[in-house]
Amino acid sequence: MRDVPGLPSRRTFLKASAASAAIAGIAAVPAKAEQKPEPVALTEYKPDCLTPSEWAFVMAAVARLIPSDGEGPGAIEARVPVFIDKQLAGDYGRAADWYMQGPHDAAASPLRGWQTPLNPLQIYQQAIPFFDAWCKTTHGKIFAELDAETQDKALTSLQKDEMKIAPELRDFFTILLANTKEGYFADPMYGGNHGMEAWKYIGFPGARGSYKEWVLKHNKPYPLGPVSISGERA
Amino acid sequence: MKKLIRVLGVLVVLGIVALLAFIFVPVQRTGPATQLAADFKPAKGQGEYVMRAGDCLACHTTEGGKPFAGGRAIQSPMGAIWTTNITPDKETGIGNWTLDDFRAALYDGVTPNGTHLYPAMPYENYRKMSEEDIVALYDYFMNEVEPVSNKVEETKLAFPFNLRFGLRAWNWLAANYEPGFKPVQGQDEQFNRGKYLVEGAGHCAACHSPRNLFMAQDGIDDTSKAFLTGGEIDGYSAPDLRGNNSASQKWTTEQMAAYLSTARNAHSTATGEMMLVVRDSLQYMTKEDNMAIATYLKTISGGQLLKQAPPIEVTETEKMLTEAKADMPLGPRLYLDNCGGCHFVTGKGAPEIFPELDGNSLVTAKSPKGLISVILHGAELPSTADRPMKLRMQGYDNRLSDEEISALATFLREGWNNQAPAVSAADVKAVRDLPKH
Repeated sequence: MRDVPGLPSRRTFLKASAASAAIAGIAAVPAKAEQKPEPVALTEYKPDCLTPSEWAFVMAAVARLIPSDGEGPGAIEARVPVFIDKQLAGDYGRAADWYMQGPHDAAASPLRGWQTPLNPLQIYQQAIPFFDAWCKTTHGKIFAELDAETQDKALTSLQKDEMKIAPELRDFFTILLANTKEGYFADPMYGGNHGMEAWKYIGFPGARGSYKEWVLKHNKPYPLGPVSISGERA
Repeated sequence: MKKLIRVLGVLVVLGIVALLAFIFVPVQRTGPATQLAADFKPAKGQGEYVMRAGDCLACHTTEGGKPFAGGRAIQSPMGAIWTTNITPDKETGIGNWTLDDFRAALYDGVTPNGTHLYPAMPYENYRKMSEEDIVALYDYFMNEVEPVSNKVEETKLAFPFNLRFGLRAWNWLAANYEPGFKPVQGQDEQFNRGKYLVEGAGHCAACHSPRNLFMAQDGIDDTSKAFLTGGEIDGYSAPDLRGNNSASQKWTTEQMAAYLSTARNAHSTATGEMMLVVRDSLQYMTKEDNMAIATYLKTISGGQLLKQAPPIEVTETEKMLTEAKADMPLGPRLYLDNCGGCHFVTGKGAPEIFPELDGNSLVTAKSPKGLISVILHGAELPSTADRPMKLRMQGYDNRLSDEEISALATFLREGWNNQAPAVSAADVKAVRDLPKH
């Protein structure tokens, strides 16, 4: 490793700090989060499976479900749309390991679980144009183009199924909300929870192997930031 | 003047004659160490047992290949040495060898046509083997091993090591002792059995002894100070087995025997080459023999059994890891993020499952290559009769960068009671760039 003139080498630095910490128990240099290159901006992102209009809808919808104002990061800062795109492009979107043979009775009681013949990706693909059309008729614009307040109203209507969506699509709001939460809290290796911001916000310490020493330390905040499955630190 | 030229001429001629003699006069082959009764027959299974003790299978078989058919490359600084076919095949194996031929290979390192074997074949050590075991082993190879026709690649080392006759001089230095084994008077049978296995067939010194100036093992038995004080194999450190803080001193005899039989004990687990030795050789030794080996090692290390466990001290490292302060340095932070779940803040791991890192000879080895390799690629314990589970540690090559592994390894080498030099990112890169095998 080449050292920058005038600056202590990182190695000497680490060595000295590890040694002093080992000897004196004094932690001199914090283990900073790695410098990772910023991923491509959401506006530049090329989705794996969503079309431009579907992407615009997902961007707008998740921004209202977990908004950026107020406490903590919003779904946009956490890159939830990327998570949803990747999730729908993968096994989940294709319902790859679900029982998807008939008979299908989409109008059956919701207590009977997934009854639609459609997989989650197909539900997004069919529900978004339907919902956008409803928004245009009811509020004058497609969902992504509405102001925030009207968007909230429209989503509430969707949740209450005021537009009488087809039974095959009736789970749309439920999975949209669930996928948004998943993208917010899942491990960053799946595209969302960018920088583990959501974990930091709620104080979740991540995928560390053991917290044995902390089991009996009641009401004491755990001091370390989270670590992801792939070893990312924050 | 004329006289001087004549004298010089005679000297040159003598020199040439001596050189030709050195190259072409056949090597005197060593005979049996003891004369056996004419009707000696090895006990059933004795030959195979000796083969296991000598671990012939490990080197003379390729991964997934036919047993003893040779063709495995033993990497040396001078180039690859290809192991030979030792099945009783008459064309490509040793089917035409007599017992005297076979003994000469084990004792003198020469083949029937006089070719010198490279000392990757540990005849320095096999020279200690008893005639009974040699006969049993010969009998095993001739009668119990399937002949396999397999012509192996010829070993072609770089000049001057390709001139095999040169090994004749090397052998004067390295394998020039009385063949066979002499038990030590005043020591019991268990000690001497352990000594015989360690110094002879087990060829422990091939890795665990340093090499001298001539690349020979520095001493072939415990009368030499350097014997089993640790060596190097392919850049990896093989630990000291008799010095201060060696496992032989710190572990009980029973713990050492358990390590040999199952690759795991209350303190540690076997990784790398030693894992292979347990898998292919030591797990097949009887409990008595592994206890004998452990007893021998315990005795030559001068270690007394500890009457009671030393008090457990809370190290500064443990305190720091327990506090888990947000501003802790990178090394211990990476330890908590990646290692602490199994090896714990004490660095003590869990008996027979997770090796302790505090005082671990692999962690503090002179060469950090073994430690880096385990962090990068993980490790797996062999399945043995007593401990069938193949415990596996994952590798972290995808998860940690060279810089991170250097910080982590440096922390491990300085943490708890460990005191070993730091590891650089370049050290890590060098191991990462090695071809996986």
